[in-house]
Amino acid sequence: MEDSVPMSAIVTLSDVKKDYPLGKLTVRALKGIDLTISTGEFTTIAGPSGSGKTTLLNLVGCVDVATEGVVTVAGQETGKLSDRELTKLRLHKLGFIFQSFNLIPVLDMFQNVEFPLLLQGGMTKAERHKRVRDIVDRVGLTDQLRQRPNELSGGQRQRVAIARALVTKPQIVLADEPTANLDSATGSSIIDLMKEMNEQDQTTFIFSTHDPHVMERAGRIVKLVDGLVVAG
Amino acid sequence: MGILFQIAVRNLIAAKRRSAMLGSALAAVTLLLVVLLSLSQGITDNMIRSATALSSGHVNVAGFFKMSATQSAPIVSDAPRIREIVKENVPGAVHVNARHRGWGKLVSESGSLQAGFNGIVLAEEPLFSEVVQLAKESEYKEGGRDEVIGDLSGLSQPGSVLIFASQAKRLEVGVGDALTITTETLRGNRNTTDVTVVAIGRDMGFLSNWSVFLPRETILDLYGLKPETTGSVQIFLEDEAQSEATMAHLRGVLEAEGFILMEHQAVPFWAKFENVNNEDWTGQKLDLTTWEDEVSYLTWVVRGLDTISFFLIAILVFIIAVGIMNTMVISVRERTREIGTLRAVGMPRVKVLWMILIEALVLGAVASSVGALAGAALCLGIDAAAVEVPSDAVRVILLSDTLHLVVVPRQIATAIVVFTAITGLASLVPAFRASRLQPITAMQSI
Ligand SMILES: Nc1ncnc2c1ncn2[C@@H]1O[C@H](COP(=O)(O)OP(=O)(O)OP(=O)(O)O)[C@@H](O)[C@H]1O
Ligand SMILES: [Mg+2]
Repeated sequence: MEDSVPMSAIVTLSDVKKDYPLGKLTVRALKGIDLTISTGEFTTIAGPSGSGKTTLLNLVGCVDVATEGVVTVAGQETGKLSDRELTKLRLHKLGFIFQSFNLIPVLDMFQNVEFPLLLQGGMTKAERHKRVRDIVDRVGLTDQLRQRPNELSGGQRQRVAIARALVTKPQIVLADEPTANLDSATGSSIIDLMKEMNEQDQTTFIFSTHDPHVMERAGRIVKLVDGLVVAG
Repeated sequence: MGILFQIAVRNLIAAKRRSAMLGSALAAVTLLLVVLLSLSQGITDNMIRSATALSSGHVNVAGFFKMSATQSAPIVSDAPRIREIVKENVPGAVHVNARHRGWGKLVSESGSLQAGFNGIVLAEEPLFSEVVQLAKESEYKEGGRDEVIGDLSGLSQPGSVLIFASQAKRLEVGVGDALTITTETLRGNRNTTDVTVVAIGRDMGFLSNWSVFLPRETILDLYGLKPETTGSVQIFLEDEAQSEATMAHLRGVLEAEGFILMEHQAVPFWAKFENVNNEDWTGQKLDLTTWEDEVSYLTWVVRGLDTISFFLIAILVFIIAVGIMNTMVISVRERTREIGTLRAVGMPRVKVLWMILIEALVLGAVASSVGALAGAALCLGIDAAAVEVPSDAVRVILLSDTLHLVVVPRQIATAIVVFTAITGLASLVPAFRASRLQPITAMQSI
């Protein structure tokens, strides 16, 4: 089946450069990245600390814009979009998994997962609840529906975050070091879960990691060194 | 929006200490405001009640009669006709009576004092009997009995007088004692008559200090007046708010009937003598006033209290607004990453703005409601407890022996709405800042 699905580009970067102001200097974090990621890929961005992994993911995640070059996400050139349009793009096409989970502490697990659907609007309560229950089932947390984030373990929190990222059925899920705050066994189960979601829904996953064990599981490894792609 | 409300409320609960501190400060100021408003309303109420019982109707048709260019008397020469006109043209009147006016000296064996005389027909003064309360003997006489002596009905007999407790003290008289009244008549003759004290009323502040009440016949005799004269025709309305309008209407009617009217001046009748005496006319002119005009020399009390209250509350509100602003700024700063996350997962700026505003509005609404309701309860409690006013001077100003507070629900509602709105306004800046937070802040992991 994999071979019969036409592979279309969902993310493209061409000659992307990113500068950060640092006092009077500027730091060039990305120095001309050319990269194409196709629908359904399970890609990891690897590289030493400071190589630009986070910077790259931020650009793809539409939370930052390139200094030079063109970033296209889900068919839209992000450099040309307003804040409002970028917000909409993030809400409807992207899902985020954060290193420190970033759940809303005052909402329980169910509400955290439901939240992006409420922002999207247009669903009945029943539809919404079914969607939340299904995804919570899939990440294996059916018994913790009413627990607040601080009552969950790190691994459980990251599962909630995965559910939140996937509940809107986004085209791309981005994760910057999703396992960095987890022990290796838990981290490994999180990657398994992500992989499972990727295979079942053809959702594109792009994540960064330092962990060689995690890297092994990726379908594709894009290696960054000093702001440039050196492999993948 | 439901979820934003939940987030807001839960964040307030999560920051218990901060919310409680800010909330209690806001509640305390609301409480203070409600108490001050109720006190102001209570004084106003006392004023209307005492003024309309002792010295004025809601609308009065009084007048001056000048025998010569320099001599005037507070007299309306054809009272029956005016009462007729009022009856036909003021459908909102629930009651009409007439009173004579005079000024002179009360003399007892041990003292004397100046007072304004009110000549009344007791039978046509239901409000008077209701409002004037009689003092216990002990209230004006050393070692007096702890009970009321005499009663109002004595005022229907000629040659009687009702005075007030503080006057009784000064004159050293009690019920049953005789007083001599001296006055000047219209023609400038000195006239004297003896009267018996039939009742002694409780003091009612300013208004009772300068007034005594006599049967109408006694005044007619004293001044040698014809029975169809009076001092003032007092009109009581179903709705006191209609006083101004009724006066304006009556002015038109009376002018059309051929009466000559003085220009309206918002001061009591006794403040007009000097002007009238300096004017170059003789005969009758009518002077219409409202109850507010007749107590205008007292309204500074309420105005003063209101002004002080306004500045006090304004300063406190300003301090609290700054507090709210700071607190919300801190609260937003603490939640930078959380808000960044919300933005990253697709929350639009305007919703972030609302989220913070709702948080402030909920705090403001809850705190000011609690404060306002506690204030209302406190006012009702104080009013019911009939707390004695300790200082004589304050009694005179408050027109009452006891603290009187009137809770007006509309004022309570307004206080809550205004304070909630102020909380919202104070948090506009932090809310706006929050809405400008970049989604990238969600990625910064610490
Ligand atoms: N906000 C910023 N201001 C200034 N310089 C920055 C900023 N963010 C990143 N940089 C710089 O850009 C370069 C790339 O950083 P980036 O965070 O993308 O690397 P990384 O590969 O994610 O590193 P790590 O593995 O440590 O997370 C580094 O030299 C970093 O110091
Ligand atoms: Mg990084």
